[in-house]
Amino acid sequence: METLLELRNIVKRFGDVIANDHVNLEVRKGEIHGLLGENGAGKTTLMNVLYGIYQPDEGEIIFEGKKVRFKSPKDAISAGIGMVHQHFMLVPRMNVLQNLVLGYRTPSDPLVDVRWVEEKVRKLSRRYGIDIALYEVVMNLSVGEEQRVEILKALFRDVKLLILDEPTAVLTPKEVETLFSALKAMTKSGLTIIFITHKLKEALSVTDRITVLRKGKNVGTVETKKTNERELARMMIGREVVMDIQKPKIEFGSEILKVQDLWVKDDRGQDAVKGVSFSIRSGEIFGVAGVSGNGQKELEEAIAGLRKPFRGKIALDGKDITNLGVAGRKDIAYIPEDRIGVGLAPSLSVMENLFMKDFKNFKKGLTLDFKSMEEEARKLIEEFSVKTPSVHAPASTLSGGNIQRLILAREFSRNPKVIIASQPTRGLDVAGIDYVRRRLIESAEKGCAVLLISEDLDEIFQLSDRIAVMYEGEIRGIIPREKADYETVGYLMAGGMEVAA
Amino acid sequence: MNLRYLTPVISIAASLVFVGIMLAVMGINPVEAYTVMFTRSFGSKFGIAELFVKTTPLILTGLAVAIPLRAGLWNIGAEGQLYMGAFAASVVALKMPLPDLLILPTMFLASALMGMAWAAIPGFLKAKFDLNEIISTLLLNYVAIHWVEYMVYGPLRGKEVYNFPFSDLFSDAATLPRFFGTRFHFGVFIAILIAFIVYYILTKTDFGFSVRVVGANPRAAEYAGISRERVIIYTMLFGGALAGIAGMIEVSGIQLRLRPAISTGYGYAGIPVALLASGNPILVMLSAALFGFLYVGGSALQTTYSVPVAVVYVFQALIVLFIIGGNSLIQRRG
Repeated sequence: METLLELRNIVKRFGDVIANDHVNLEVRKGEIHGLLGENGAGKTTLMNVLYGIYQPDEGEIIFEGKKVRFKSPKDAISAGIGMVHQHFMLVPRMNVLQNLVLGYRTPSDPLVDVRWVEEKVRKLSRRYGIDIALYEVVMNLSVGEEQRVEILKALFRDVKLLILDEPTAVLTPKEVETLFSALKAMTKSGLTIIFITHKLKEALSVTDRITVLRKGKNVGTVETKKTNERELARMMIGREVVMDIQKPKIEFGSEILKVQDLWVKDDRGQDAVKGVSFSIRSGEIFGVAGVSGNGQKELEEAIAGLRKPFRGKIALDGKDITNLGVAGRKDIAYIPEDRIGVGLAPSLSVMENLFMKDFKNFKKGLTLDFKSMEEEARKLIEEFSVKTPSVHAPASTLSGGNIQRLILAREFSRNPKVIIASQPTRGLDVAGIDYVRRRLIESAEKGCAVLLISEDLDEIFQLSDRIAVMYEGEIRGIIPREKADYETVGYLMAGGMEVAA
Repeated sequence: MNLRYLTPVISIAASLVFVGIMLAVMGINPVEAYTVMFTRSFGSKFGIAELFVKTTPLILTGLAVAIPLRAGLWNIGAEGQLYMGAFAASVVALKMPLPDLLILPTMFLASALMGMAWAAIPGFLKAKFDLNEIISTLLLNYVAIHWVEYMVYGPLRGKEVYNFPFSDLFSDAATLPRFFGTRFHFGVFIAILIAFIVYYILTKTDFGFSVRVVGANPRAAEYAGISRERVIIYTMLFGGALAGIAGMIEVSGIQLRLRPAISTGYGYAGIPVALLASGNPILVMLSAALFGFLYVGGSALQTTYSVPVAVVYVFQALIVLFIIGGNSLIQRRG
């Protein structure tokens, strides 16, 4: 197979940080090339350099045998390179066709030649097997469909190389399968794909070759057929990690958290949680699986006290807490999904963030005792091994993993009875994931009731004692871990009807 | 990181250059003009006293903007709060039969409470209905300014003022003591003391801690169980009280009566004062001194070159623009 793209010695620095350190990458025509690495390994930066969003500090890009320089994504697109970002860039109120032609000149420019667009989309659909309703408003599409629009948008511009940045992060298992078969069909018709991911299983199942990045450097390129999960994991993190966490048998105690027929509205006033009931006992980890946006956020916020339910009851240790605010629910720890937007005040110091909830405990006379606060903070960052230059450094200077450790330190040190952990390992590297999961198990051992809300099925299966699936605001079945399998849970996540547990 | 500290310095320098160009266009040698501003402010005991006199209300209005700013709120209403404070102090001075020793303390309290009440309106509306505080505080300024005007044309007009829209002069017991044979008055010490108290409250107390969290990330504050509504209302009340006190100090230290236009935009100048100090109460004193210098120097320009005193406002506006522009540049880079 001939080479389509070559990146030679690409260097990209941000201040003192080297995001890409002399990276080489060779992509062959018609292959799916996996770009694998932990968060912060430099995958997205490298692709942004290729796509013209960043200018490389050193190195060259050779596309179709010619040396190229892209000053902006526009240059990259006209050369034949398209990119689908993690966050979609569609106009929600426009229909699919309008989104496709946005910024594109049809032959009848300045008017949009609708017939011509329809014809072109029909050809593309036939060639790549992507089906999409052209006149549906984007707002009404599912996430998977939106992604297909994004891909189609790139294909519409006749790209030869398509870059997908963690395309499966937002999809259900079923949608992932559909995406993968579509991608394989696309390469058969001559398209080349770069597939960015940090999930080993995905890289192995869809790619032809895989290039692994670690700390901004190219570790190597391997043929997918000739490698395996262990080898890739070792390349990614540079040492063997034991991915299997053994969960000890924990004796359950009394019922700690009880949620009864809970109804909660979302920000737009729509019913987001529709009559959810469950209870969690001391020592138990209750996993809620489901694709984001099915009411999980509203459910966890209602239990944490951030959002008022309009019907139903929440009881903690037998006491009704439905009408208490956050401050009245000191026994509930909450690790929010949006760590930086909700869980932290990034511009404040590590210490201030650690005691954002409990600063009043340090009141001594009229003032706060900052000395003992500092001591306490030092102890906590030691105990939870938060890596920070000092307790006075702004929290925004910490890495993603250390931000999560900081939040864990704050929440776990308050001796909670209930822990709500929402997507607690999303975006973390392998070591970080390992740490967070062990901590959650440890807390359960100490007698906490843990509510784990996650899209990551591996995580749900690894940690949970019982698994509930949330779909469109309802719980579609609660299954004991030993009776649950990926198929059933995935089926329920995608909207399948309740099965007898 | 260092850029953050450089912004105020660069903003001041750039504004000086721009105003200099403006002066040059008007046919005035900017170097000479700046020299005049300097010598007239620092050259004599009277100049220095004036510097303190102008700086005093600016410290208070600067704090009145800075405190809500720490919680992420824009108090554009310090001007109106100052007027209402001056009004309340004047009512006490003119109408209340009090023992001499109690008059000044009562004026002080009345002005603080009145400024608070005036700031409570936008604070409450913001906390309960999320009404934009910039608009409500700004509009209430006009109400306050015209209210004072109405008072001195009507109910509070003095008997010995030959139909001028003034109140009668305050009695000596309602006047702040002056020193050194200049206009340097006791209010200077009050303002400096208040700045230190505000610093203490904002940095050392639990209230200050919650203000910091709300200012840094309101959603995180809610998540942590800190009542955002309470912080909004308290910071507005706090700021309003200080602007009200500035009004009392102006009438009982400088004007010695209530009259229209008691403030030459001190309330508005509080905004660049607070911005330049990035909300730090100690630095507010420094930036207030800079603006005090501009006021004194500006009137020196007026008498020497007959340049309108509006030059001072041009300078103020430029500083705000440069700081806001500089900060957004830093953010974009970061």
